[in-house]
Parts: sequence; C-alpha cells; structure tokens
Amino acid sequence: MAELLLDPKIRLWVFLPIVIITFLVGIVRHYVSIILSSQKKIEIIQMQDSQVMIRARLLRENGKYLPRQSFAMRRHWFNNEDTGYFKIQKRVATSQNPMTDPGMMTDMLKGNVTNVLPMIVIGGWINWMFSGFLTTKVPFPLTLRFKPMLQRGVELAYLDASWVSSASWYFLNVFGLRTIYTLVLGENNAADQSKVMQEQMSGAAMAMPPDPKAAFKAEWEALEITEHRWALATVETDILVNEDKEE
Amino acid sequence: MSSKTKDVKPEPVAYSEAALRNNAVVVEYCRTSMAALSGSTAGILGLTGLNGFAFYVLAVVSLWVMFMIKAGPNWHKYYVSRQSLLTNGFFGALFTYILFWTFIYGMVHVY
Repeated sequence: MAELLLDPKIRLWVFLPIVIITFLVGIVRHYVSIILSSQKKIEIIQMQDSQVMIRARLLRENGKYLPRQSFAMRRHWFNNEDTGYFKIQKRVATSQNPMTDPGMMTDMLKGNVTNVLPMIVIGGWINWMFSGFLTTKVPFPLTLRFKPMLQRGVELAYLDASWVSSASWYFLNVFGLRTIYTLVLGENNAADQSKVMQEQMSGAAMAMPPDPKAAFKAEWEALEITEHRWALATVETDILVNEDKEE
Repeated sequence: MSSKTKDVKPEPVAYSEAALRNNAVVVEYCRTSMAALSGSTAGILGLTGLNGFAFYVLAVVSLWVMFMIKAGPNWHKYYVSRQSLLTNGFFGALFTYILFWTFIYGMVHVY
C-alpha cells in the first residue's frame, strides 16, 4: 500500500465541506420545491373516470361475495351494450401538447428551477472550488476499472485506485445520501438529485396522462370475461365445521 | 406495528395493506440507521477490506435478530416472511454503509 500523506487542512476545508454542502443543498431543495409546488387541479371528469375504474375493479375482485343477481346487476350497469357505463361514455383521448398548456409550462419551469439549476450550479461550483484534491481513500481495495469513476479530475496513472478525488467524492455523496434524506425528511422528499439524473437519462421527465378510452375498453373486457363464482355457497357447513373444531 | 385480521377458517390469512406498508417503512428506517451507525463504527475502528464487509453482514444479521426478538414468537403477525426481512434492501443499505465507512475512515485514519 503506497501511503500518501495528505494535508490535514484538506480534511477540514475540502473533505468535510463537500459532505455538509451536499447534505444541506438537498435539504434546501426539498423546502424550495415545497414552496414552489402548486396543487394539481384535477378535472371532475378525470376523477369520475378513475372512481369508476376502481369500482369496476372491486366488482371483479370481490364480486364472488355478492349474490349472483347483484353481481349481474352491477356488471350490467357497467357493460350493457346499450346503456352500460363503459359503452355510452365517449372519452376523447387526451394527448394535448404540453406547450399549449400554460399551467404545465409553469410546472416544467419550476421543476427545472428546483432540479436542474442547482445541480449545474452546485456541481460546477464544487468542481471549480475544490478541483484537483485527493480527499480520501476508500478502505477497501479496488481494481483499476474504478479509477475514472473515483479519480475524476486527478489523472495520475500510477495512483492506487482506492484514492478518491474531490469531484468524485461529491458524486459519491449525491448518490449515497439518498437514504439519509428519507430518514431526515420522510418519504417522497424532493432532495434526491440522483432521481433527477435518472429521469433525465431516460428522457421520460413527463408522464402522459393515461388514455381513459383504452382503459375503459380494457376494463370492459376484463369485466366481461369475469365468471361469477358464489364464494359463500358452503358458508353454513364451513362455519359449523369450525364450530365443531373449537369445541 | 399492526396485526392481521384472522379468519375463523385456517387457510385464508388477510393482511392489512396499509399496516404492512407502514411496517416496511419502519423497517427501512431502522435499516438506514443501522447502516449509518455501523458504517461509522467500522470507520472509527479502522476496518479495511473484507473485514468491513464482514462487519456489515454482521450488522445486518444482528439487526434481523433484534427484529425477531422484538416481534417475539408472533413475528408472522407483523411480517409476511422472515427471509425477506433479512434480505430486503441489503444492497441499498450497503451503499449508505460504504459512504459512512469511507467518510469516517477518511476523517480518522487517512490524514
């Protein structure tokens, strides 16, 4: 093990500050996004659709506890050719352009302000301010393959792979502090930068609203092929058997 | 922590979904804390190489044993399976462990 002697001031002025900065930036991001977030307005028709879907699913799954006639009645209400809910409701496929919707535009802008901007600014600042330091050494041996990952900014061919440069230490923190944010801020916090990175890489930053027409059709089919099995047909004997056992 | 609602019949066992999720969240919190604490411990002790990973496995197993002692003989009231309680989130917590281990090790032993 080739030992390097690092200046203890690097610990105080580079190593520790990077951890603290990364952590506190996450906290600040969380609260800023809370301030900026706006309540999504839900259209009444969307609400109605989703509730109907839930009801149809419940009927499919738990219909066996209903008498056959009640089950048929409910399914008739959903699926009848002429009057069934899934048949008469004509929904237009919602594939609106997000650029034409000002509300969506503002949301995107806010998302960029809270997510992308701090990432560029803080990452750039850390790279500029703390560039070129070796900060620490991981306490386990690594192969040479890890060198570009752990020693970004310090290109020394003969350096042992387990030394970590400052820029890489920052990235390790960005990814490693995720669970700590969950601990400190609770579930579903907005402090996590790595999630944003993943989203950008996959290019799926925006989820399209699901098409109600297709969903209705799928649910209609599923309900149509559901067979009614009366689950309580032998309920008396079941209960009596259990009573006998307990006595 | 919560309990399942048990039927009179022996076969169907109904779990409360919300309660299970709550238990999972609590377990996850414990696991993160365990990873952070044991990582710091390993860093202060100056463990290197395989010793550190062995220490992590030890910490995971001891956390599991603590869960089992806490839950008592009625563990199946709170968790669906014991094995998944041991193995779930093993690698996610390992990352936290490595970060803390590296951090404290760097603070104490490198300079």
